[in-house]
Order: sequence, then structure tokens, then C-alpha cells
Amino acid sequence: MQRRTFLSMAAGAFALAAVPASVRAEDFRKSKPTVWTAKSVEDAMKAMYGKTDTVKDGVTVVAPDVASNGGAVPVDVKSDIDAKTVAIFQNVNPEAAVIVYDLNEYSVIDFSIKIKMKASGTITAVVEGKDGKLYSGSKTLDVALGGCEG
Amino acid sequence: MKVKAKVKNGVVSVKAMAKHDMWTYDIAEKKTGDRNNANFITHIDAKIADKVVFDASTSQFLSKNPIFKFKVKGDFKKGDPIVMTWVDLKGNTKSKKTKLK
Repeated sequence: MQRRTFLSMAAGAFALAAVPASVRAEDFRKSKPTVWTAKSVEDAMKAMYGKTDTVKDGVTVVAPDVASNGGAVPVDVKSDIDAKTVAIFQNVNPEAAVIVYDLNEYSVIDFSIKIKMKASGTITAVVEGKDGKLYSGSKTLDVALGGCEG
Repeated sequence: MKVKAKVKNGVVSVKAMAKHDMWTYDIAEKKTGDRNNANFITHIDAKIADKVVFDASTSQFLSKNPIFKFKVKGDFKKGDPIVMTWVDLKGNTKSKKTKLK
């Protein structure tokens, strides 16, 4: 068992070393580690942007009203805002952050992703505009079967 | 990982499925009794013709075998190579290369 652990660690270290640094536009897990451990949406936003006040306009979040399977809730985020980043949070899992998209000159804010939801709650998408303001949209939904325990 | 990418009127629509169990800390504890067995994709990116067009940092709360859909605007043509790469918590990485259709 110990040897196996060692081997997998060695393989992991090699894989990390093999990925050139230039591939990363910005890895928010490294640059902002506290975002990923924050328990509430407010704390996660504070860790990410340093503030929590958002303009509740211009961001569309689409998700089903009732999700039968909390293990895979489809979420669509759309917006026309000229933005730097897009983040998705929710308020029922042990931690709030789900995904942070780092945008570039080619990006269109039209993302779809499937997420896990432990219980009924609210999904919030925050768009960080290039004007420095935060824009948000949210969707509250019912989850029939929670999806965090596998 | 499966990647499909189509070009239409200067917009590339990409659909990618990363094959990954995406174990949260809770799942790992329930199945193996050890939270440290959790493993999930932490970062995924896509490059078309060597330009980074998509980049996301992710947490444990994506679904199992998560599907990423996104759009990209730019001067890309049919046949341009697209490469998608993910990295997980344990440092495993996987790439998939295909062409725009």
C-alpha cells in the first residue's frame, strides 16, 4: 500500500511538472485558495472579489425548477457584459464555490455545466465586469435527491 | 475525455465530457472512510490553434463525468486543432486533441 501511494504521488508530481506554466491563464485555486474553502456565498465572494455588493441585472441563470437528481443539475449562464471572470456559487453544499471561468478575448459568456447540489437551494452566478462592478443572477430550485453523498 | 467542436459564423461551439468520478470529500469519507481520497478536476482549459480560449478553475461540486459547454468567438476555421486538458487534485492530467468541424 505504501509503495502504491508513493508511486501515485510520484506520477502526480511528474504530471504537474510536465504541464508548462504558460498554459495557465490564471489558476484561481492557487491564486485565491480561500475562495474554495469559504462556507457561504458571501464569504466566497469576499475572498474572490473583496466585496459582496452586486448589480442584480444582466446575468441569466437557467436551471430546472425541480432537479430530480442533485448529482447532476444542469446550469446555463449567459450574459452580454464585457467581463473578466464568471463564477458560479451555490448555498447548500459544504463550500460555496463551484467553478470560476477566467475569460479572454475569445470568450462568449454562454456556459453550460452540470453541478452537484446537496439539497434545494440557490445557484448564484457572478460576472466580474471590466468596469469593476459585479453583476449577478440567481436561480432557486428544488432538488428531489441530494447529490453530494454519491 | 470526449470533445466536439463546431464552427459556425465565426463562433465555435464546444462540448466536452471529462471522464472523472469527481469524488467530493463527503463521498470519499462515505465510500472509503478517508476524506483524503477525494479527487476532482481542479482546472480545465482549451486551446484552439495554440491560443487559450477557455480556462476554468473548478471545485468538487461538478457532477460525475462533468460536461462543459462553451462558446468561443474568433477567427477560427474548420480543421483548426483544439486541445482540452484537465488537471485533478492528485495531479493526474489528461488531454484530448481533435479538430474543429
